[in-house]
Amino acid sequence: MKFSISSSELLKHLQIANGAIGSNPVLPILEDFLFTIEDNQLTIAATDLETSITTTVDVMSDSNGTVAIPAKILLETLKALPQQPITVDINEENYGIQITSAYGKYKLAGENGQEFPTIPEADGVDHLSMQSASLNQGISKTLFATSSDELRPAMTGVYFQVDKNKITFVATDAHKLVKYTFTEVSSDVTTTFIVPKKALNLLKGVLPNGGEVKMSFNKSNAFFEFDGILLVCRLIDARYPDYNAVIPVDNPNVLSIGRSDFQNSLKRIAIYANKTTNQVILNINNSNVTISAQDLDFSNEATEQLSCSYEGDPLTIGFNAKFLVEMLGVLESDDVKIELSTPTRAGILLPTDAVEGEEILMLVMPVMLSN
Amino acid sequence: MDAFFASVEQRDHPEWRGLPIAVGGGGRRGVVAAASYEARKFGVRSAMPGFKAKLLCPQLVFVPHRFGVYKEVSQQIRAIFYEYTDLVEPLSLDEAYLDVTEPKKGKPSATLIAQEIRQRIFETTQLTASAGVSFNKFIAKIASDINKPNGQKVITPTEAAAFIEALPIEKFFGIGKVTAKKMHQMGIFSGSDLKQYSKLELSQWFGKAGRHFYKIVRAEDDRKVNPNRIRKSIGAERTFGENLVEIHQMKEKLHPIIETVYKYMHTTDNFGRTVTLKAKRADFTQITRSKSFASEIITKTDLVDIVFELLENNKQELEQIRLLGVSISNLQNEHQVEGTGIQLKFEF
Repeated sequence: MKFSISSSELLKHLQIANGAIGSNPVLPILEDFLFTIEDNQLTIAATDLETSITTTVDVMSDSNGTVAIPAKILLETLKALPQQPITVDINEENYGIQITSAYGKYKLAGENGQEFPTIPEADGVDHLSMQSASLNQGISKTLFATSSDELRPAMTGVYFQVDKNKITFVATDAHKLVKYTFTEVSSDVTTTFIVPKKALNLLKGVLPNGGEVKMSFNKSNAFFEFDGILLVCRLIDARYPDYNAVIPVDNPNVLSIGRSDFQNSLKRIAIYANKTTNQVILNINNSNVTISAQDLDFSNEATEQLSCSYEGDPLTIGFNAKFLVEMLGVLESDDVKIELSTPTRAGILLPTDAVEGEEILMLVMPVMLSN
Repeated sequence: MDAFFASVEQRDHPEWRGLPIAVGGGGRRGVVAAASYEARKFGVRSAMPGFKAKLLCPQLVFVPHRFGVYKEVSQQIRAIFYEYTDLVEPLSLDEAYLDVTEPKKGKPSATLIAQEIRQRIFETTQLTASAGVSFNKFIAKIASDINKPNGQKVITPTEAAAFIEALPIEKFFGIGKVTAKKMHQMGIFSGSDLKQYSKLELSQWFGKAGRHFYKIVRAEDDRKVNPNRIRKSIGAERTFGENLVEIHQMKEKLHPIIETVYKYMHTTDNFGRTVTLKAKRADFTQITRSKSFASEIITKTDLVDIVFELLENNKQELEQIRLLGVSISNLQNEHQVEGTGIQLKFEF
């Protein structure tokens, strides 16, 4: 079996698939790409058994077949070659591979493609389509709030709630929570599932700016298809916490403030906060908010005052500055609204100007101040 | 208390008085928990394997421990401390810091109170105690060793500087074997050597501890006597009669250890984010392997799974195991950084 392709074209596709290869594979063959050629089409697959990526590219080939090729050496070779046509020649007896470039020949040992794990296929499952850009938004706005706590696997992924004409993405680490809803989708079904962080990170990296993504799902896997790329991931098999129950319904104290002024102030003040807790204190009254932090270990402290509009009783409340900075970072509106009740209850963070077709709500738990 | 466990045994067993005795370490593979002063003359020390102690002192009498009794005595002496002050910070069963700046009774003199307490301890328990009296914890602790057994030492602010300068660094409380070795390599052997280094240099080499060293060598120690000392870890370990070779044997033996740790976590309502597995081999080399999580470990299933995962992941290194231990650290209340509050969570 033999095929020819442009070195840069092949490299581009390999780099997409490479994201799925794990850092510490349990089987040696998982360090390989699976190459399958059928009718002048090369399908490249990589997997860590949880997440798989397949991508397809046109080649000129003399026959059909399959082989597993070590990923690292192949990638390094292609990265070091200027763009040019290359030929890959595969010995179907011993899986020896020979690459021919304009400069010379490179030989490496492949493995039997039949031994490569089977990648799940989307067979007779439910599906929905949405704009690639919207899915990208959904991921980018929630991923940061996922937990890395292996003891609570449900929270290590993003919760997808699919309705007939809307999709909601939820992420939380028990300290902060984001709920992002996007209308303008069409789905056959109503369903929920949890997609692991790694898969979403990969997806974010490869989703195109335009075009549609077809999403399918069954009990154990989710499938994302776009531009000849298929990303399959195993879903997290756990019950997602009842997040609606923790969203406060009556937070009477409402603070409105310029988003980037507030974020920049928090970034400066956080430099002076204790590095393990990142605790900042907001002292809010009628027309201004005082933001302060201190680190007793190093005798560091800082204070700033910002003007704001506030309706409610004067309030002193502590937060982890890192959480607030991250959360403000995913909002786009010029001003934000923060709805609070008491210094020990969750605060709600909302954009002042809503974007058509989407809804975002964030929650953050305060730091209970000593004294 | 002087040679605490050993003294209790000699008190209760007149036939052992005057003899070199070791509490614990008697079994085929035990470790000495305490040595009497007679045994210490031969170089027998606590934490020494029994066989080594026997080599140093062939006539050594190994006696079994009676922790119940030691605990009782410990409570008796603590009761005496509390008569004088509420500011008592126990360091172990038989040792504590007392702040007697404003004593509840007795003369307002630390020296006299120390004498009185030691006298009362002797009357109540027939055991002797030693004391160090000074103006901060660091110097008092070191002073308490100087006139041991059955003595006390006062170090006044004017004497402190000269005393610390002359002190070998391995005698500094808080400088263990490893730090001492590192300091020796740097040419630091005494307090006066240590004093030559700047705060910056010491923090570069020893981190946060470096800043502490900088202060204590100048007799500065503003740590308060803390009656509610914060625990840093919860753990349990067992030494086995026979070396363990198979992983399944180790798992079987780990169950009761995990059970102990788990119960302690729940009875004290203290949970941590890091689990550590410790294993000591027949040649006394040991490995510790830990895993940390984003939140506290609460359930027994989680604890068992984590310990077994640590065991499985390191099985190549586990052969001829004489001791296994499990501990939990990064405890939630330890993270109470001074002056900061507690991050609240959603109640899912």
